[in-house]
Amino acid sequence: MHVQGHYFPKASSNYQQGVANISDTCVEISYDDQLISSHAISDITLTSGLAGLADELNFNDGSRFIPTDVNYRWPFKANKHDLLERLEKNKWAIIAAVIFTPLFMWLMLYKVVPAIAVYSVDTLPRSVVEQMGEQSFTIIEKLALDDSELPNEQQTKVHQHFNTMLNALSLEPSVYRLSLYKSEAFGANAFAMPHGRIVVTDELANLLADKPNALKAVLLHEIGHVVHQHSVRMTAQSAASTIVLAVIFGDLEGIAEVVLGTGASFAQQGFSRDMEREADSYALIQLENLGYSSNDFADAIEALQGAHTSENEHLEKVNNLLEYLSSHPSAQERIDNARK
Amino acid sequence: MESIHPTPPETTPAVNEPAAPIFSGKVQFSGKGGEFFGIWIVNILLSVLTLGIYSAWAKVRTMRYFYGHTRIDGHSFDYLATPMQILKGRILAVIVFLIYSFGSSFFPLVGLLFAIAFIFLMPWIINQGLRFNMRMTRHRNVRFAFKGDYGEAFINFILLPIASIFTLYLLMPYVLKRIDTYIHSNISYGDTPLTVNLKGETYYLTALICFVVSSITMVIFMAVLGLFGLDLMNVENQQAAQDPAKMGIMFGGLMIAYVFMIAIVTAVWAAAIRNHIFDNSQFEDVASFKSELKPIPFAILLLTNMLAIVFSLGLAYPWTKVRTSRMLAEVTTVNIYPSALNLVDTAQQEQSSFAEEAANVFDIDLSLT
Repeated sequence: MHVQGHYFPKASSNYQQGVANISDTCVEISYDDQLISSHAISDITLTSGLAGLADELNFNDGSRFIPTDVNYRWPFKANKHDLLERLEKNKWAIIAAVIFTPLFMWLMLYKVVPAIAVYSVDTLPRSVVEQMGEQSFTIIEKLALDDSELPNEQQTKVHQHFNTMLNALSLEPSVYRLSLYKSEAFGANAFAMPHGRIVVTDELANLLADKPNALKAVLLHEIGHVVHQHSVRMTAQSAASTIVLAVIFGDLEGIAEVVLGTGASFAQQGFSRDMEREADSYALIQLENLGYSSNDFADAIEALQGAHTSENEHLEKVNNLLEYLSSHPSAQERIDNARK
Repeated sequence: MESIHPTPPETTPAVNEPAAPIFSGKVQFSGKGGEFFGIWIVNILLSVLTLGIYSAWAKVRTMRYFYGHTRIDGHSFDYLATPMQILKGRILAVIVFLIYSFGSSFFPLVGLLFAIAFIFLMPWIINQGLRFNMRMTRHRNVRFAFKGDYGEAFINFILLPIASIFTLYLLMPYVLKRIDTYIHSNISYGDTPLTVNLKGETYYLTALICFVVSSITMVIFMAVLGLFGLDLMNVENQQAAQDPAKMGIMFGGLMIAYVFMIAIVTAVWAAAIRNHIFDNSQFEDVASFKSELKPIPFAILLLTNMLAIVFSLGLAYPWTKVRTSRMLAEVTTVNIYPSALNLVDTAQQEQSSFAEEAANVFDIDLSLT
């Protein structure tokens, strides 16, 4: 067996023409019937095959032999060496990969990674989770929240609603805590921190002052976020998708990266809307369980929608257009969902 | 070969006529879109199925494919990194990233500390990355090398860019020139260093052209929008703003104009600077280069790449990579001089030396890409 190619001595840019002769145990490189070097097959390092590239021999003294025919593959190569190359050239494998890759990516990003994150947070000691949550809460408190200006009587009422529900749902009051704040930045709003602190603004409490059941519906929605550990899943999912994009499309040119990045943040917002829906349906189910009506939830959303529309009227106009940019499902969808 | 600038005293007289090149020709790139598609899609599938672990093998296969298909005088480049080196680097990067993203979303102060630490770590990371990539690149059995030091990198990558903010970025072209000089003048092929002689004027002139080109693109775009009855300067009390359809056109148009502008400016900058660097860098007595990248064909290439990626939902990515490499190869000429035949890879010869061993401990790829 004779293979034409180039022979490179160790660490040198100089090369010479050569022919490799393969016998059972060794490879001899010669030129014009003059032996240049001889190497035992067991001393040769082979690389895995790659489409269109010569299969080079790396000898253990640092010299190399590169066949001229890029498609030539050495007979003494173990079968597994070219497994990847065969896979990459197999049209059925490629078609299967095109079909299944998006599916697996979706499973990984939206199911497996968030599940792992929730599991690892569950194994964290409660005190650590508590510490983390309080830290970020302190920042929000400093930046956007002021002390509540509601009369004591009204505050007590809201707390009573909250405690009744915790009792009925047998949730731990040391974890689920309610705080009232005045906030110009948030307006009429409520939000939940990952460790169980739930904030209701004065503006929201006032808005729903004469609809106590609607307020309960909002509280249940926020409790739903904590029960389903949405913040943790969100953080894990966004970290994972950043990593996946970086690893797979590592070296995209600027523009394509902007476009794919935008796509990723659309997906992120979609994920956020799913979480809102999950919290909504938690609220709806528990409302029924506790003997209230899911209409209470619709009332709350309607009231909130009214409040926010009057705040920034002209923004509402482009709302239809911007629905895909939103972190929440549309108010109408949420109301319809509650009323049906 | 005249220079307006006084030659520094330590260089040998430039008039010395160099030996005639033994080879002069274009870089050849023989990669094929279809071939690379198979490699790429199998890479992604296996990477996803192995929770990202295979991505290290994927990177090595991709790099080997592109290096191996790039040839000068019929000899290909070799990518020498092993998947384990890449994997170690990635595991480290992912751990740091996870600590950062969880840390900063739950303890905001940690984020700030990270940012400060990162500023001081960055020069080291950049040096380490350049060093690794050069050491892992081989041509005709001789490896490349990079030697840069922390101080220089800190000045060029951190200090000067921050300083340029205070000059309203007027210093920026100079900073970019410094960065390119730093990167290239620290490269060597075997034991032959790359000598570079970059000029600040070229960087300033290119920056000016980019500025003018982007302004013109914006003005043309505004004029076109004007034809649709939209006035960007006066959105607040516009009839059009009341109409979601017209608002849609405007948002879409803005996106397109933005993408257009970025492609053109990127192409203008990349072409001028790449040509300048190649034309003014050489491995003395070993090789010299010439790059003739033209901005308009390159801008068209970048734009069509982007359109193809977006409309194929990413599937055209391998094709765009291959055609970009092909274009860059086609515009690059290399002259090889007789000394190239007698180069010795110093690092490889002293393979058992202690320095080499110590270097191997840190021989991990620190970049995520």
